Amino acid sequence: MHQHQLRAGPRAVRRVAALGAAALVTIGFTACGPSISGADDAGDSSTLQAPTEESPEGTITIWDRSGDLYEVFESVIAEFNEKYPDITVDHQAVDIDAKLQNTLITGTDVPDGVFLDDAKVAGFAESLWDLSDVLEPYAGDIAQQKLDVNSLDGGIYGVPWDLDPGLLFYNATALEAAGVDAESIETYDDLLNAARQYKQAVPDAGPIHLEQSAFLGQLQLEMYASQLGTSLADADGELRLDSLEYEQILTFLDTVQQEGLGTRAEYLGPTDIETLEAAKQVFYPWAIWFDFAPQQLLPETSGDWRAMPLPAWEDGGARSGAMGGSSFVIPKDAENPELAWLFYEFLVFDEAGYSAVYGPNDVYPNGLNTSIPSYTPAADPDEPLFGPVEALGGQDLWKTAVEAGAEIPGGAPIPTWWAGAVDYLGNNIQRMLDGDLTPQEVIEQSSADIQSNLVDRQ
Amino acid sequence: MTASTALDTRMPPPRAPRRRRLTRTALRRRLAPYVFILPFIAIFALFSVYPMIFTLRLSFTDWRGTGAATWVGLDNYAYLLTNPGFWSSLGNSAVMWLLIVPAQVVIGLLAAVLLNNAKLRMRGFYRTAFIVPFVTPLVAIAQIWIVVFDQNYGPVNDLLGVLGLPGIGWLTTSEWAKPTLALLFLWKTTGFAIIILLSGLQSIDSTLYEAAELDGASRRRQLWSITVPLVRRTLMFLVVLQTLAVFQMFAEPYVVTKGGPYSSTTTAGLYLYNHITRADLGTGAANSFLLVILVMALSLLFVRLLRAKD
Amino acid sequence: MTTAMHGSKVEATDDTGAPPQDTANVAQAGRPAASARRRRPRRELPQFGSQVLLMLLTLAFLAPVAWAVVSAFKPAVEIIRDPLGFDPTRFTTDNFVAMFSDVPLASGFVNTAIVLVLKGAITMFFAPLAGYAFAKYDFPGKNMLFGTVLLTLMLPTIVLIIPLLLEMKEFGWVNTYQALILPGSVDAFAIFWMRQVISAVPDELLDAARVDGCGEFGIFWRIVVPVIRPGLAGLAVLTVMNIYNDFVWPVVVTTSDTMQTLQVVLSTLAQNISGNTIGADYATITGELLAASSVALVPLLIIFILLQKHFINGILAGSVKG
Repeated sequence: MHQHQLRAGPRAVRRVAALGAAALVTIGFTACGPSISGADDAGDSSTLQAPTEESPEGTITIWDRSGDLYEVFESVIAEFNEKYPDITVDHQAVDIDAKLQNTLITGTDVPDGVFLDDAKVAGFAESLWDLSDVLEPYAGDIAQQKLDVNSLDGGIYGVPWDLDPGLLFYNATALEAAGVDAESIETYDDLLNAARQYKQAVPDAGPIHLEQSAFLGQLQLEMYASQLGTSLADADGELRLDSLEYEQILTFLDTVQQEGLGTRAEYLGPTDIETLEAAKQVFYPWAIWFDFAPQQLLPETSGDWRAMPLPAWEDGGARSGAMGGSSFVIPKDAENPELAWLFYEFLVFDEAGYSAVYGPNDVYPNGLNTSIPSYTPAADPDEPLFGPVEALGGQDLWKTAVEAGAEIPGGAPIPTWWAGAVDYLGNNIQRMLDGDLTPQEVIEQSSADIQSNLVDRQ
Repeated sequence: MTASTALDTRMPPPRAPRRRRLTRTALRRRLAPYVFILPFIAIFALFSVYPMIFTLRLSFTDWRGTGAATWVGLDNYAYLLTNPGFWSSLGNSAVMWLLIVPAQVVIGLLAAVLLNNAKLRMRGFYRTAFIVPFVTPLVAIAQIWIVVFDQNYGPVNDLLGVLGLPGIGWLTTSEWAKPTLALLFLWKTTGFAIIILLSGLQSIDSTLYEAAELDGASRRRQLWSITVPLVRRTLMFLVVLQTLAVFQMFAEPYVVTKGGPYSSTTTAGLYLYNHITRADLGTGAANSFLLVILVMALSLLFVRLLRAKD
Repeated sequence: MTTAMHGSKVEATDDTGAPPQDTANVAQAGRPAASARRRRPRRELPQFGSQVLLMLLTLAFLAPVAWAVVSAFKPAVEIIRDPLGFDPTRFTTDNFVAMFSDVPLASGFVNTAIVLVLKGAITMFFAPLAGYAFAKYDFPGKNMLFGTVLLTLMLPTIVLIIPLLLEMKEFGWVNTYQALILPGSVDAFAIFWMRQVISAVPDELLDAARVDGCGEFGIFWRIVVPVIRPGLAGLAVLTVMNIYNDFVWPVVVTTSDTMQTLQVVLSTLAQNISGNTIGADYATITGELLAASSVALVPLLIIFILLQKHFINGILAGSVKG
């Protein structure tokens, strides 16, 4: 009996390949059900228009991530309803990464508005409303970098929300004790010198953070590039990694590594936290959202940290670049896209809206200080929305960040395949930090791989 | 009607004569399997076969989820088969297989044999304990792995330090990331292996052991001469299933290492997953069918090995 | 090989189910007292060795889970800052309080329970039935059908999500219980395994029953099912685990809070951690996630313990009858 069963096994397996096709015909399902060719009903109607009614009414479904931002946006809804009492907001905390793509592909229960990473907007553009008409009145007052990342082929597909300027966080107390004058740092050469100086005083230090996660390392690289007004691809999607700008940045990182001036660690992983607390890492060039670390995760050195604009790549160069950020998108299949636009218009461009988000609220009694508004009227250096940050020694982070944000150059769109490039560029940066590749090799190998695996396969 | 009375009748099994004698029973017997599999076929055709055919068609197209799909013939397959990334993902999975499956078979069999002893105290407790990792959310486990295996401050390297050994970049070097991840997978799924093996062991006739014991066979001897041969079918079943699982694995490397360092933990499943999350659905579908062919070949090999031993 | 099984089937199932203490005498009753006495001294030492080995394994299996549960009672920030430490003076239930106010855990439990019962029942009835047909009957198209089963088993489920979701849309089933329950309710794994298990049942047993006038379904229900109880118990455990753990499909097919299963709730919490963007309240979310995970473990452990008891009793009942 066992013998018999054993023979049945392989026979069945062997036949599978041939029979798969037979089953296809036999069961006769090929003709019915959804076609793989989705209907292409885009065209002229894909540019959203603002509603014209006096008091529009309806229900909108808004997706946000769970957590602090959900709570913050939740508190804005009441204020929104004071202005638009007839619009009901169905606010949902959703696993956006897992759901959005599938929902847009199948067009089922599509939300009216979604909170989305800037880097992902272009990838979904085909399923989103072009917002260039409704954004027209505000476009002149929006940080150029945010318009660029939301743009594709002349359309704008997201309502730009936060700006995440890169800053140089530094441990002022430790640097002072070592006799290093951090405040005089103006260029990356100055930063290298300061790091060398600190290293002399504290030999086991690796003063500058070197990111070890391939993804975040590439994100940080793009922050440096944004300072120089460039990014991985231009507005036409042409790869432009092979440039003097990228070579300069990679050479800087390579120098930090070769001279032993860096600590290689994953952002806020165990090694990172320990070395930050022990003042072995004292320079952290990162987006403004790093400020959460001294506020929550670094009790020993909390209060010792300060933030200043990033050093410039050349004398007089821009002192900041963007790293991360999010926007709001409105899917084409949304039921009430116009009403969703009204919600985001209120949240981003209405003083009551942005003050409720960034200002003191139940979630953040001192205001939300991990990013700043990208709408320039909201980002006035002299009218802070959030208060001074205690973990930064009471520094007025608002002013520092807003002024840095104003320096971020435009012209740095994010290509749709950005995240896919991590396998090539992100990895090659790490190989360089291992000492296995030179900056030039990183550029050559990554360019070739990105071109053939990502750009050519779009 | 009980099993023992059925056995007492000592009916020889010639099938043909009986069929001729009892035509109504024979008819019912011929129809029965169709009735039995009908509900299964309905559900299976709708929710498994149909999506599979859909996916098969998709694998010959370029489709990004929106707009029309364009027929590209075998382009997706050609792209994958000539892409070093695809082959290295298979290589990574093969290494993971070697790290996981043999160890799991040994640990699983050992635990199952121990648990199969009816007189073992706290049997229920152990069985429950082994299944717990199976149900603990992966993101929580990923946190633990990241902390415990940190290169500079993790307790594992602290322990190595105490023993005078150098620390290891468990999750940061290409050589060690695979074993570290394999350990996670092993930890998470060995409970599954134990359940499968235990159910196989439980259908072994206990009189065989009693007879062996009367003959003075040692427990180790009993394991090799009775248990292993009799659960070999179950073992092979397990090996085939875990081969599938290892080659389809994507969540574990995704949450712990994101496939790094240097794509060393980009398993076949994660490589496929990456196509899908980037909305390159045609390539994803083609990748799946290439995996099916590979896994089928491997399964055939295992089944053949098993048959050769019989 | 098959002859060795004769007459011993009933006792074999008896042996498998006997729990350690209360029913040990029942299990022993069927055997010659002499042999039991003779065996005892030989088994004492292995018992000790087994316990030590199993304890070590258990420790390895439970330590990370224990970490998760203990950490859930730490202040959220400490989980990241000092992952391995525990300061009893800073014991807190804040994570639990925050979690219960933030996520619809209760409705998640209810939905998971509904899906578990219905989907589990479908699997536990139809999979063995189909497995029986595959194992014990010859019919035209059998090999082709079983080949298709194997093919779907080998196809990574992740690629089927989008086609299946499009299908649900056609049916108008998105965000319904039938969408959560029916797809995958009689899956290839269950069929494959049940065929495997039932193949091992001796044909003679079935033929004898047939001669006794048992109908085809009667044979399945009264002969096959009792004999394969250990396999069914295993299938039940794995089915429960799979349904309880499944999140990829429930996440995409549910669209409202009221339909979310437990794992959907957890994955919504977890995305900030597993995703690449690390927001300000990374620590808070981690704390809530560990709290939610700890709570989610409880019903599962209860189900598992109940299930175990049920099957032990069932097996014993069957053997007593024999």
